[in-house]
Amino acid sequence: MSNMKCETVREWVPDYVSGRLARLDDTSVRSHLKACDECRAEVELARLIFESRVDVPDGLANRVRDAVRYDRRSVSRPWWGITAAAVAALALGIGFSSDRPEQSESAIPGYAYELDDENLWLSDDGLIAGAPALDALSDEALLQFLDELDVGGAGGSA
Amino acid sequence: MVRDDEGSGEVLSDEELVERGRAGDDAALSELVERHHAAAYRVAFSMLQEDDAAQDVVQDAFIKAFRALAGFRGEASFRTWILTIAGNEARSALRRRGRRRETALEDAGPVRSQQKPPDMEAVDAQEAAWARKMMGTLPEKQKLSVALRIEEGLSFKEIGEIIGSSEGAARVNYFHGIRRLRELLQ
Repeated sequence: MSNMKCETVREWVPDYVSGRLARLDDTSVRSHLKACDECRAEVELARLIFESRVDVPDGLANRVRDAVRYDRRSVSRPWWGITAAAVAALALGIGFSSDRPEQSESAIPGYAYELDDENLWLSDDGLIAGAPALDALSDEALLQFLDELDVGGAGGSA
Repeated sequence: MVRDDEGSGEVLSDEELVERGRAGDDAALSELVERHHAAAYRVAFSMLQEDDAAQDVVQDAFIKAFRALAGFRGEASFRTWILTIAGNEARSALRRRGRRRETALEDAGPVRSQQKPPDMEAVDAQEAAWARKMMGTLPEKQKLSVALRIEEGLSFKEIGEIIGSSEGAARVNYFHGIRRLRELLQ
């Protein structure tokens, strides 16, 4: 039997069966086990437990990630933000329903992204009446947007 | 895998990922899920013995952990923290189910004699299934101590933090659990 005490070996058994033990220690434990029936029985039991670990279901990590993403978006948007988004979306609806088929979504990429997002009501912005998305628009796109809303671009009246 | 993007290319530690997660880095949070969801699932499953319920627990545990990330001071490792939350969530689920069993070591009942069916001899897969079943009969703290030590490689100090006991109590729970399993599996 090696100089290693049974007490020490039993402390290390879990790391030994799972391969987490450093090589030098691993060799010492092996040497001890050759001559110690008690510790060998302990190793066999620990190995059985380790190898009988339950399988983690496929897709669990993705399920958790999706739930976390959804939660973070909903938590970051206060109730008035949702109302504001609804107002913005309504305004956009008016804009897109105008009879100007040549107006493509790509002209206003910020809003197009919002509309394509299946979690429209849970996006991270939470400011009033579409202001955050407006920040992302070019001057040209802003003018087009104002024009569609008929609230006046360069030539709008007060 | 999220790596240091400042040149070294080294894999980031949990602590670094937590820092990034606090700053709103979704990829960092995603990596924390990748690293720890399996252990959280095994903890939840060992307590609940039910796949769907265990998955729900893992999901809820990560949501709660990430909501509270701003208050996480890093006194324990993220791994210990998320496993503690998963354990608490599983305990709540058990309570809701009304099937919570007494878990204190001193209240553990006598070992029941359970004869292994003879046709299970020398059949590895069945032996493993039998061991898993016997694990399920241990009092909660013993079961968790054995599972966390052998399956996840946690130290007794970490296990103590998770089961709400001292390091010494975790060690005792582990060795009692092992002894009971040896008796059950003989």
